[in-house]
Amino acid sequence: MTDSLPDNDELDNDTESIEDLRNSFMYGSRSDLNFKFTRDLSDAEFGDFLSELFAATARVGDGADPLDVVDVAYRWQVQAYAGHLGDPKDFPHRKDDTPLAPFTKPLNEAKIMVLTSSGHFVEGDDPEPFGETNMTQAEAESRIVEFVRSEASLSAIPVDTPAADIRVRHGGYPVQAATIDPQVVLPLEHLRSLVGTGVIGSLTENAYSFVGATAQGHIKRTYGPAWAQIAKDQGADAVLLVPI
Amino acid sequence: MEEAGIPTVSVYVKSFGHIPELMGLSRSLITQHPMGRPLGAPNDGDRQRAVVEHALSLLGRTEQTIEAFPEGYRLP
Repeated sequence: MTDSLPDNDELDNDTESIEDLRNSFMYGSRSDLNFKFTRDLSDAEFGDFLSELFAATARVGDGADPLDVVDVAYRWQVQAYAGHLGDPKDFPHRKDDTPLAPFTKPLNEAKIMVLTSSGHFVEGDDPEPFGETNMTQAEAESRIVEFVRSEASLSAIPVDTPAADIRVRHGGYPVQAATIDPQVVLPLEHLRSLVGTGVIGSLTENAYSFVGATAQGHIKRTYGPAWAQIAKDQGADAVLLVPI
Repeated sequence: MEEAGIPTVSVYVKSFGHIPELMGLSRSLITQHPMGRPLGAPNDGDRQRAVVEHALSLLGRTEQTIEAFPEGYRLP
């Protein structure tokens, strides 16, 4: 009987606290960037989240709308980020009081540029982070700290690039949706369509994407002037920004 | 961009919807979408296009603008 019981060391190794479990989705043993927000929940909140998720899953099994499950995860994601990151006293960047640049052209005469932090690039033009060719998404996630500390690399994406030729890699957010359909964040086909129907005047030659795994204030201070010059060089009258 | 005289508009998911106010960004549209899908679900072209058009419609604003896209996430 005694021989079948684990010793104390084995017991310790098998023990996982609720905090460990919450943290495991944030680049841990269960890494899933859709659910990395669980790190920012309290243990009690995490319990409530799981309870709601299980209940919604059971309802879907009985014929309810599958979107109910997505909605539970979405609401807790919002609560986690807004609750723990939205406090002004904890926000590390100075509030910008620059007057807005006026948009002087009618939209149907304006040239629009897109800039996103989605990590998209054109097949054959891999930014090759850290000099590595064909880095996988899993490796990008495992090296997120290095991405945060590294310089941002801007990928030019000609606006007529077919969606099938666009790739994505980004260790900071769940990329599966952006892999299935780049237009969840990089809306090139829609913008081309809006040009075709005369809603907007034209598009710049390129859209731009980078791995935005760093603080927005840092990006603004470090890259803002150079990227603004790119927008000017492209002849942009306005820029659509899609932070991820 | 704004300092350089180029007007901008941003699209944020609601999880990060606090950032435009905290940073004093120019014009922002907040979508009630999960992280990683700011414009809409994969292959939901109608929603994605509606979000883009809504965002572009804010470019004419001359004061800081933070507006919510009115409809929740959906699957195509």
